[in-house]
Amino acid sequence: MLMTKTSVEPTMKVYVSVWLGMILIVAIEAALAFAHVSSGVLVTALLVLAFSEAAIALRYFMHLKYEVPLLFWTLIPALLLAFFMMNQFWADSARLNTFRFPIP
Amino acid sequence: MEPSPFLISSKKLTMWLFIVADAATFGALLFGYGFLRFGSANWTRPFGSSNIISGLAMTVILLTSSLTMLGGVAAAQDGRRSSAMRWLGATALLGVLFAALHLREWSTMLHEGWGLTANPMGGTVLFGALFFSITGLHLLHVISGVIAIVVIAIGFQTQRLTASHVETTGLYWHFVDLVWMFVFPLLYLLNLH
Repeated sequence: MLMTKTSVEPTMKVYVSVWLGMILIVAIEAALAFAHVSSGVLVTALLVLAFSEAAIALRYFMHLKYEVPLLFWTLIPALLLAFFMMNQFWADSARLNTFRFPIP
Repeated sequence: MEPSPFLISSKKLTMWLFIVADAATFGALLFGYGFLRFGSANWTRPFGSSNIISGLAMTVILLTSSLTMLGGVAAAQDGRRSSAMRWLGATALLGVLFAALHLREWSTMLHEGWGLTANPMGGTVLFGALFFSITGLHLLHVISGVIAIVVIAIGFQTQRLTASHVETTGLYWHFVDLVWMFVFPLLYLLNLH
């Protein structure tokens, strides 16, 4: 049977530090929402913070940092490509409404 | 037999593949929400401070449950069965607390007249449809996760299951947490009136 521990395992102290960092990011997100910044700035800031938080969770909580790099390169770029394609195609799909034939 | 190029067990790789597929599902829902949100001129922003505080509490609870899950995995890998049970029990309890807070929020919104096709504030009905769909799918993942944690914890305690089962379940639980990191800012914070 394969062992899943591939390198040095982090301690609970590391996990608690990561957890505190993530709580801090959530607090910044909430503060931004109450700060009356423009919608564009708020969406951008929230997405950047959410992706940062997700990257931290993937690296530490989900152990991608401690697995072989091949696992990351096999899974994550393909997922990001899928998101990119959604972004490209779905925006265009809204335009399809204007291409519909009129109802007789 | 040829070893895995990823140097992980097949069950862990299977969980990773499930997570990637599930992330695409949530991604599609959130992209759909994004396009409809910014394509609607009369979008409703129903949330006040109390909803955000409730959402913050739910976020902290879910993040903390990820931490307790890590404790459970570490204890299981070290062979400390009773300690693993305590950590996993705490994780399941936090999951139940998250689900209870979420259902309470849903109940309040339903009493206010919100629904999949209803908007008591008079704007587009899309908010209710998207909010209940996306949070509903996430809640389903949380409830499934709690059931899985309880089953795995009992199996590990009775020595029918191994630490790798606990680790794989932990991977799923962290993913549930990860999805919420996008749901909370996009569905709650962006809809603060």
